[in-house]
Amino acid sequence: MTVIRKASAFEILNHWVLAVSFLILAISGFGFLFQLEQLNAVFGNFNAMKNIHNYAGIVFTASLILTIFHYLPVSLKFGADDIAWFLNGGGYLSKKSKVPPQDELNAGQKLYYIVILLSGLAIAASGFAIWLRPQVPDIRKLVVLSHLVHNIAFDLMIIAVPLHIYLATLANPGTLRIMITGTVPLEWARKRHAKWVRKMGY
Amino acid sequence: MARKALLISPELCIGCRGCQTACKSWNQLPATKTVNEGSIENPPDLTPNLYNKIRYVEMPSNSNMVRWLFVSQRCMHCDDAGCIKICPAPGALFKTKEGAVGFDKDKCIGCKLCVAGCPFDVPRYDEKDKVSKCHLCSDRIAEGLEPACSKTCPTGAIRYGDRDNIIGKAQKAGYEKLYGQVDLGGLGVLYAFKDSPKIYGMDERPQIPETVVFWHKVLKPLAYWGLGGAAAVSLLHYLVIGPKKDEGGDQL
Ligand code: SF4
Ligand code: SF4
Repeated sequence: MTVIRKASAFEILNHWVLAVSFLILAISGFGFLFQLEQLNAVFGNFNAMKNIHNYAGIVFTASLILTIFHYLPVSLKFGADDIAWFLNGGGYLSKKSKVPPQDELNAGQKLYYIVILLSGLAIAASGFAIWLRPQVPDIRKLVVLSHLVHNIAFDLMIIAVPLHIYLATLANPGTLRIMITGTVPLEWARKRHAKWVRKMGY
Repeated sequence: MARKALLISPELCIGCRGCQTACKSWNQLPATKTVNEGSIENPPDLTPNLYNKIRYVEMPSNSNMVRWLFVSQRCMHCDDAGCIKICPAPGALFKTKEGAVGFDKDKCIGCKLCVAGCPFDVPRYDEKDKVSKCHLCSDRIAEGLEPACSKTCPTGAIRYGDRDNIIGKAQKAGYEKLYGQVDLGGLGVLYAFKDSPKIYGMDERPQIPETVVFWHKVLKPLAYWGLGGAAAVSLLHYLVIGPKKDEGGDQL
């Protein structure tokens, strides 16, 4: 079986860092949102949970910035095939529907990345504003605004990420190995990322 | 238990600041060195060690050289409290059975969101980043005593009692509507103003920041239902349509 490399070792590592830091942030974030004292079993107490949340935020932000090199260039390429992909519901709405050949990331993955990048940057900036309280004339206004931005971005992510996890695991068997070995079978790639496979010279 | 409240009557206040001192004394709050800023208002603002402050307002007046207004400024013990609403740490801010808004420094995580969520800019934080504000002497009132400020006030400018009682008495004395009677579900500190609240340095219509209300009503439930919805849609797709399989065909 011919395999083809889809993710470098560094990209795999960074994706895991992003994923784990996101999970820590999302779980503790849910804890703050709904005052879930049950989480004390995991984090100890709310003071510790706050510190973990803040420092995981630094890791998440750094990791998110690194993803720009991995996913942004391809995500910004948006053409007729991408539109057709969306019009066909990505081929997810019925077993019969087909989608046109896709790049290294398909149209849905491109959109997903843009959503994650934007909401991630927004949640990071607002989080640091709440944490570090920069010297501004009206800090209370800035914190209230940051609190709003932080929560809108959280809502976007808490909806988008589970769908991403489902699509990358159960919905598309064989996809998860990109996050483990970084390679995929050539046949698998031909069906899902035909344009990219062609560009790679296969 | 009947909700308790303070009634502040600026017209009775002589600006002696006995309440400020009594508050510091009961709560064991150290004094702060300040500089003369040209007003006898001192310190100029609430601090983590100053829960209650007399605000001095100087107004031009026809009948006198000047009109002086003395207003006690402190936590209002809101029924619908912005600080409690926004606080992420369970038990850091809480309502006592008397209706006071108390705090617990051990449970406070020092995020300072309450500072932004309070419509009256009341909460302060100490050197350890912990919340600090008037708690209506919740330790005293739990024992049936009155707060240190009202106990000390020599003129009756700060009175303590059952909230309904206080409102009833004020109405009989000719105050149709007290400041704080209905705002934010009703404040636990009521003011008998003879003029527009603005003149006394108070917000005409105090409100929890709109975005905080929006967050509470929309964004918070959306996080819950959004996560559940995304999981449900995934499961439904898996069961009804099923995963993409690799057999046959050229494009998936
Ligand atoms: S005045 Fe501010 S600190 Fe006091 S109860 Fe109301 S919202 Fe909370
Ligand atoms: S600073 Fe403390 S009391 Fe204020 S919102 Fe944060 S945890 Fe709650």
